[in-house]
Amino acid sequence: MALLSKLKEAWIGVSAGVVTLPYPLAPHPPAPGFRGRPIFDATKCIGCGGCASNCPAREILIFDPCQELRVIRYLGRRCTSCGRCAEVCPEKAITMSDAFELATNDVADLEQRLTLFMGSCQRCGRCFTSPSPLEALKLAGYRLDDLENGRWIFGSRAAAPGPSKPDVEIEL
Amino acid sequence: MLKALCRRMMTKSCWVYHANSGGCNGCDIEVLNVLTPYYDAERFGVKLVASPRHADAMLCQGPALRSTAQALRRAYEAMPAPKVVIAIGSCATGGGQWFDSYSVMGPVDKVVPVDFWVPGCPPRPEAILHGVAVALGILGKKVAPRPPQVQPSFPFPRYQPDGTPATDPQPNADPGPDPSRRNGTG
Amino acid sequence: MSAESLALALGGALGNLVLALALAPLFQGVQRRLTARVQSRRGPPLLQPYFDLLKLLGKEDLESGEAPAVQRLAAYLSLATVLATACLVPLGFPAPLSMGGDVILLLYLLLLSGVCTLLAGAAAGSTYSWVGVSREMMTMMTLEPILAVALGVGALHARSLRLEAVLCGSPYDAALPISGALMLGVMLFAFQAYAGRAPFDVAEAETEIMDGPLTEYSGQKLALFRLAQMVKLVVYAGLFVALFVPWGSGLPQPLAFVAFWAKALVLVVGVALVAATHARFRVDQAVRRYSVLLAFSLGAIVLAALGR
Repeated sequence: MALLSKLKEAWIGVSAGVVTLPYPLAPHPPAPGFRGRPIFDATKCIGCGGCASNCPAREILIFDPCQELRVIRYLGRRCTSCGRCAEVCPEKAITMSDAFELATNDVADLEQRLTLFMGSCQRCGRCFTSPSPLEALKLAGYRLDDLENGRWIFGSRAAAPGPSKPDVEIEL
Repeated sequence: MLKALCRRMMTKSCWVYHANSGGCNGCDIEVLNVLTPYYDAERFGVKLVASPRHADAMLCQGPALRSTAQALRRAYEAMPAPKVVIAIGSCATGGGQWFDSYSVMGPVDKVVPVDFWVPGCPPRPEAILHGVAVALGILGKKVAPRPPQVQPSFPFPRYQPDGTPATDPQPNADPGPDPSRRNGTG
Repeated sequence: MSAESLALALGGALGNLVLALALAPLFQGVQRRLTARVQSRRGPPLLQPYFDLLKLLGKEDLESGEAPAVQRLAAYLSLATVLATACLVPLGFPAPLSMGGDVILLLYLLLLSGVCTLLAGAAAGSTYSWVGVSREMMTMMTLEPILAVALGVGALHARSLRLEAVLCGSPYDAALPISGALMLGVMLFAFQAYAGRAPFDVAEAETEIMDGPLTEYSGQKLALFRLAQMVKLVVYAGLFVALFVPWGSGLPQPLAFVAFWAKALVLVVGVALVAATHARFRVDQAVRRYSVLLAFSLGAIVLAALGR
């Protein structure tokens, strides 16, 4: 009879016990290989910008305040933990941690910011990979010729915050 | 007196309204997972209600689309105070991977004021449960702003062709965009 | 009516009210916990409905809907009618105000509490409310006659319409007549519908019409409606136990009280079990089932009129 089968169904449910995880009261680590938030390490970063150009959500932003400084900002809002930044980083400066408990009441908590020294070439003045701290001590000076191309050397792309794109207003 | 009682009871009984304003349903599935026996949210008194007028917390998923912005705003206005808005997923937090699409206005906080953000794509059900617990004040949040990592020590050598001393930019010099600027294309 | 019997009646009424109001959310807590265990999960604490109601009392009351005055009336009236019914139904001891009315009054009050839901949905005026109201109306049209017949069969056997005669169990003391047994079966099947739970919760179908008639209510009014629903379950359980399973009510007082509430608890637990394992019926399927039950109950009242 239908009612008996329903009672049996209820019995199956009850005899399975309580399968609820004690989660917030006890930690529940994810499986190994889980990609959570990326962690940026400034001691290994060379400022190549590969992560920024590869990020599908355009969440890693690069600004050069002057020729020798590069600021990399990872705003964590739209990050989907795809791991493309970590995959493409040549120096393995980005590691995908397994932190997933990222709830916050302020999006600025998710931001990571690196300020990097971009050492310039002694002959042409353009940037090359940032030297290690030891080499930074040995860096002496720069070549003074090639003033013709000075504008290419000194033209640093400080990001000009232009006027924000006007958005369409919805009548609410 | 009743309002104080309501606030005290809110941590024990929070009714949730689930609003998807245009997402891919990945976060929907994770929110429904939170209500399944494995992650059981009902043991904290969290119940899914069908009408925003009965709800205390609104779980917003999906970015704010041009087509659904009005509906989302009306659902928010239909909730009685005191209310909490939790934006779930990377689309609701920042516009998602489709932030520059023609139909996406941006993150959900362009349309409703958001109190808590739970990023992820999709966030794990544990992350959503943790987010609801943080919103109710049961748990403290686990992310804190990491101190900015500064590689060079100031002053550092700069290339000047005519030998004039260069003025160093400040360590935190950054004319970059402001994340609180409400533009999805940041 | 002497002063002391009046005082006794009013004191008893107050006791009934307190008992019904205090125990109704606990019954719902037991139901939710049992539903959770059937689904293999932990479930809310037993006192959860109390927390829900206390929280709702402090929420802002958005006066949304077409007729706010009628909405207020519907909210207060629904709790008032259910509490009035609670004073007429024996809840462990003989009903305190049963000398004040008869079976017709009881039926009227129960019908009025159903009409309050209709009034609530109609006053709110949104589309979802109207769909809920139409479904609730269809349900009530077939269910209320079954309740009337159940009380009528008891009245025919007790040869009186007075509540003391019908509800104190004497119609079925000696042996259950055929009509009584038939009505017992019918009411067992229909009890789930009176409780308004799955598979018969078509009027308040959450996933379909967003809580039906109560869609536009928030804050204190919603608390009143929810409390009225909880107390209605207690009242119906009391009515069922008093009409059909009065065994044990002749015992000395503490035992009779405990026996009554144990029977009511068994009924409530049964409602929860059935609700947890069934899917919702469509409104036409539900009404078809009620019509079958109505046919049986009409047969029962014919048998009762013939003396069997």
